[in-house]
Amino acid sequence: MMRMPPFKLHTPKTLNDALNIARELSNEEIEFDWIAGGTDLLPNYKWHLNAKPHVISLSGISELSKLNSNHIGAMVSLHDLAKSKYTHPVLVKAADSIASTLIRRSGTVGGNICLDTRCYWFNQTEQWRESIDWCHKCDCGTEADCRVIPNQNTLCVATYQADLAPVLMCLGATIHLASVNGIRSMPLHNFFELDGMTRNVLQHGELVTHITLPEDVNEWKGDYQKLRQRESWDFPEAGVAALWRMGTKGPTQLRIATTGLESIPGLHLEEANNAISKWNGSNTIDTLADAIRKSVKPVQNTWYSPSYRKKMVKVLTKRACAGLIER
Amino acid sequence: MSDRDEPEGIIEREIKMDVDVIEVDQEMDFENVSSEIADLEVDLMTEESSEDEMVGYRQQPGKLPFAKPGSGGKNRFSKPTNQEMIPESQGGKLTQPWGSHRHDGLVSGQIIGKPTALVDSHWKVTGQAQYGDDIRLPGELIGRIVRSPYHYARVLSINCSKALELPGVVAIATGADAANKFGVLPVTKDEHAMAVEKVRHVGDLVACVAAENELIAREAERLIEVEYEILEPIHDMRKGLDDSENPIHDRGKYHIGEANVQKRVFQEFGNIDEMASNSIASHKQNWLFAGVNHAATEPHAVVANWDPSGRLTLYTPQQVPHYVHRALADVLEVPMHQINVHRTFVGGGFGGKSDPFPHEMCAAILARKSGRPVRITFDREEVYWINRGRHPSRIEMNLHADEKGRICGIETDALIDGGGFASFGHVTTYYNGVLHTAPYEIGAFHYTGARVWTNKPASGAMRGHGAVNSRCAVETGLDDLAEQLEVDPITLRLANLLPPHSATITGFRVTSIGMRECLERVKKESDWDKKFRKMPLGKGIGIGCGFFISGSGLPIHWDPNKFPHATVHLKIDMDGGVTIHTGAADIGQGSDTVVAQAVAEVLGLPLDMIRVRSRESDTSPVDLGSYSSRVTFMNANAAISAAMQIRDELLDATVEITGAIRDKLVIGDRRIFAKNDPAVGISYLEALHKAQEDRGALVASGAYRTPPMGRTHKGAAAGLAPAYSFSAYVAEVTVDVETGQTKVDKVWAAHDCGKALNPLAVKGQIIGSCHMGLGQVISEEMKYGRGGHLMNPDLLDYKIPSVHEMPEVFPIIVESNDPEGPFGAKEAGEGPLLPILPAVCNAVYDAVGVRTAELPITPDRLLKLIERRCRKEGIKEPLELESPTLKYSPLQNVLAARASEHSQRDLDRRLDANRKPYHNGALFGLDPTIPPDEVDERWAVNVIPSKDYLTKPRLAGSAWRHMERRHRGDS
Repeated sequence: MMRMPPFKLHTPKTLNDALNIARELSNEEIEFDWIAGGTDLLPNYKWHLNAKPHVISLSGISELSKLNSNHIGAMVSLHDLAKSKYTHPVLVKAADSIASTLIRRSGTVGGNICLDTRCYWFNQTEQWRESIDWCHKCDCGTEADCRVIPNQNTLCVATYQADLAPVLMCLGATIHLASVNGIRSMPLHNFFELDGMTRNVLQHGELVTHITLPEDVNEWKGDYQKLRQRESWDFPEAGVAALWRMGTKGPTQLRIATTGLESIPGLHLEEANNAISKWNGSNTIDTLADAIRKSVKPVQNTWYSPSYRKKMVKVLTKRACAGLIER
Repeated sequence: MSDRDEPEGIIEREIKMDVDVIEVDQEMDFENVSSEIADLEVDLMTEESSEDEMVGYRQQPGKLPFAKPGSGGKNRFSKPTNQEMIPESQGGKLTQPWGSHRHDGLVSGQIIGKPTALVDSHWKVTGQAQYGDDIRLPGELIGRIVRSPYHYARVLSINCSKALELPGVVAIATGADAANKFGVLPVTKDEHAMAVEKVRHVGDLVACVAAENELIAREAERLIEVEYEILEPIHDMRKGLDDSENPIHDRGKYHIGEANVQKRVFQEFGNIDEMASNSIASHKQNWLFAGVNHAATEPHAVVANWDPSGRLTLYTPQQVPHYVHRALADVLEVPMHQINVHRTFVGGGFGGKSDPFPHEMCAAILARKSGRPVRITFDREEVYWINRGRHPSRIEMNLHADEKGRICGIETDALIDGGGFASFGHVTTYYNGVLHTAPYEIGAFHYTGARVWTNKPASGAMRGHGAVNSRCAVETGLDDLAEQLEVDPITLRLANLLPPHSATITGFRVTSIGMRECLERVKKESDWDKKFRKMPLGKGIGIGCGFFISGSGLPIHWDPNKFPHATVHLKIDMDGGVTIHTGAADIGQGSDTVVAQAVAEVLGLPLDMIRVRSRESDTSPVDLGSYSSRVTFMNANAAISAAMQIRDELLDATVEITGAIRDKLVIGDRRIFAKNDPAVGISYLEALHKAQEDRGALVASGAYRTPPMGRTHKGAAAGLAPAYSFSAYVAEVTVDVETGQTKVDKVWAAHDCGKALNPLAVKGQIIGSCHMGLGQVISEEMKYGRGGHLMNPDLLDYKIPSVHEMPEVFPIIVESNDPEGPFGAKEAGEGPLLPILPAVCNAVYDAVGVRTAELPITPDRLLKLIERRCRKEGIKEPLELESPTLKYSPLQNVLAARASEHSQRDLDRRLDANRKPYHNGALFGLDPTIPPDEVDERWAVNVIPSKDYLTKPRLAGSAWRHMERRHRGDS
């Protein structure tokens, strides 16, 4: 049977306590992970992937579970997000499509945003990884190379396969972080950093506290489209969110974001702005969809081939934008 | 007799109440019913308590009397026989359109044919069933297995010293501890408990360790140092056909060349020379089938314990305990009688738990070394390393049809990827060919098959063993032939079916055939004529058929004349309950329930009076195991035979008490009475006690063996079965033409299981088969990556359809009343899987006009085909494609007329007790009563390829280029 390596679990009741525990551990140079819903972290632990000796649980910190139209706490469960009357309908669609009911009950918004990147050569047991002479996202001290794109020992190309980020980015979300050094905020798309290992700007001991959405969020309409083999369980092989504001003669603002294609989600501002400036109905959508397809670079490390995923980005973009020309 | 009046009055009231109970039952209002029964029973008890003791029953002082006559079972009174359940041949009201059956006289109307909850279901749903990993013995150690990280390597040395020094490590074993080979088939024993010389795939067993807990065992695993010499691996099955420097196995003088060919088959029957020239339509397709795994819910687990007397008990969720028993004896060098194989509850098998496994040997070896019980439980990845799933295959399928719409030739070439070991592969190689020689009458059959070793986890037997992939190729080919002939594919099939009681082209004896009814039912219920080739782009409907063995005619381990296939023991003591001892492994398919039903039916007892003991080899008679869909057919037949002996004794006792004429006696619900005068009779317990008078408990042993069958050519026994099941499915799909995603919406699934002993279980098997087959056709695939690594050995990336992907299935049970089957029954566990694959493939064609030749039809694969069609037709967007249409040719009417003629022919044959033989070939104008090869020199029977063939062999056929070493003279 797969068994997790043993770890010490900390269960602070306030954010301050949590950050203090983190500081103490850091001072002693002890490694630790935050755990929210655990639906991502624990399977990885069972696979002995970068398991740490200490784990700090955020589940007892009630201040992280606040939810309204413009504020989403990091510890709000995906299920609560999907069922809340405050949640933007496109966000509801994305949240409701994640994994399965059971996982949505445990999984959290913060956990989903910080989801570890995934790769066929990484998400495997220890025994399996030994058979490929390890991978550098979890090299177990072997200084292994990347198995997807060999002979480059720097970049990890594991894929970011979470659903909420593209929608939140299109809605103009701001992410708020906290650590013992204080709090900071940034637009969500600036949170991610292109590397399959580090993934985002979080510093050691820092965590996501909540997401805020702008006041005009309900004036945005749109859609989220997701590609996967099965309608349950599966991570997105590609996901496209499109959100827009309508004027009298067509859309006045448009944002497109993608997920499941690279090591971080992508916000495609330039392509979307081009489309708005030259708006011509369905022709523009075709051009836009093609432009989005060209802008992503999936690699061979998930269920579908990169070429298929790329092709599907075009179809998904067209479908996500279908509401733009339906009146 | 006045004192008898009152009790009879009570009986009448009770009966009335029972009728109510049955009605309420159907509304599923169990709680109220049971409380009503309880209330009633309390009333009756109080009412009765004033009654005098029954005459004829002595009561021992101080002891309670035996239950009163008529009792036994939860309900204390017999119910009148339900005439709806008694066959017409016995004067009842159960219609028998296909004639009577040899077991008709044994029907007591108890349980056969009634939807019945499985007898072990309460254990399962309350969590009390003990599966492999639930067995906890005091002082147990945890075993873990060290596995190869290389595809193919020589094991040079293993150093366990560091691991042995780790506190908590109790024992370590390596290949040196078990030199003897084993394997499921006696002809191809090629496995060791752990690597003796070489490791043959990533995950192959190298060593094993037993420790106080799993953490220590894992740590010890890391400390075991293994030195390997890496060898050049083979991943592509085609390479297995070539000579190799280091063949994966060495079969000595029987080795085929220097290649990795484990088994090869060549078969030619019928009018081979003229099949192509006689044809007006031909189909050719090269298929690639991905390997799939059973993915049973329960991962493999085993507990081994040497008890203080020195005997080994092995607790294991096995489908085939007897073969493990044999293999353990071989490997451990311990006589079989010193080993008790204890089958635990099995959390799904599907063929994946039917080999004796190396980890079972490891547990026994570690337990012997450590002197303590050892438990090994797999994680999911290890299940994929042990595999035995369906073979990845390359199949070339050629079909020919002549101007009369007859199938004048089937040419199949199947190369199957066996992975690292033989497993059941010898049989699989035959099954890929011979199991598609029916249900159609064919003019010629040409089959070349080869199974090669590659450096992958071993393939083996999986639900629909060997028949599934080639059946998919045949049935999609027939769809294409129908397209070319411009006829309806269902009519094409109906006009080419073998009749009942006939012989196939390879000489299989086919008895009952419900194929025609299956086809007619699905056609009608799916509204086929309104939908086929008439739906818009993206919507499609398709047909597929199946044919499968109901039990393998030859036992694997012995001559059929030496031992029976199945044996059942019965023991009945004064309490009236019947204990059944059987070795048949209930793997969730319900074999315990079926054997209980069979005995209950013959003895006229409610199911709660039957208890099944099927777990331990110490107490159960040998059964060959739960594979090849043999258990219901063989074990229930053995059970009936045992129950008949008890029945005879009960009837004798009844004659003795009542003086009734024996021939007139019938058995009803816990009562034996004269058919012509039901008032003359006694209760089951009265008869039982009479029969026990001089000898105590009644015991009986019943057995089943298959009758002599089949022809004499090499390989003639492969595929021989005492009966065959038939099925026809229609699938309706929606294809998203832009993404290539296929959604199966509805499946009409007709299966001829002879007689549904338990319709609930049959429907469950049909729906379950649909799900499993659906997985193979839509999404399941053991995906090997660059470098030959299995990329998805886990249930997130191995895509079993979820509830969202599951179509609405309409199971249709067809009963053809097989003359040899128990009460007419045939198998229902594997055959129902076959038709779903081609039905979906054909429906996809109907939806988007492309024929797939690679499974699973994942969206990326289908989209490529759609794009190819677009390019070919100069269409830019897939949405602009046209859906295929069909205009019938004049042949359609010819076929329809022949189908209707044959329908009458079939019925006549069923009802004619003096029917003449019918050999495949009659449709082509030959004398049906004589095997065609005896009268027509064009009719070939060849099992060795000619020199001519070898000048231009097909892919698998090229395995015959090699010469066996013994014939080369250099062994």
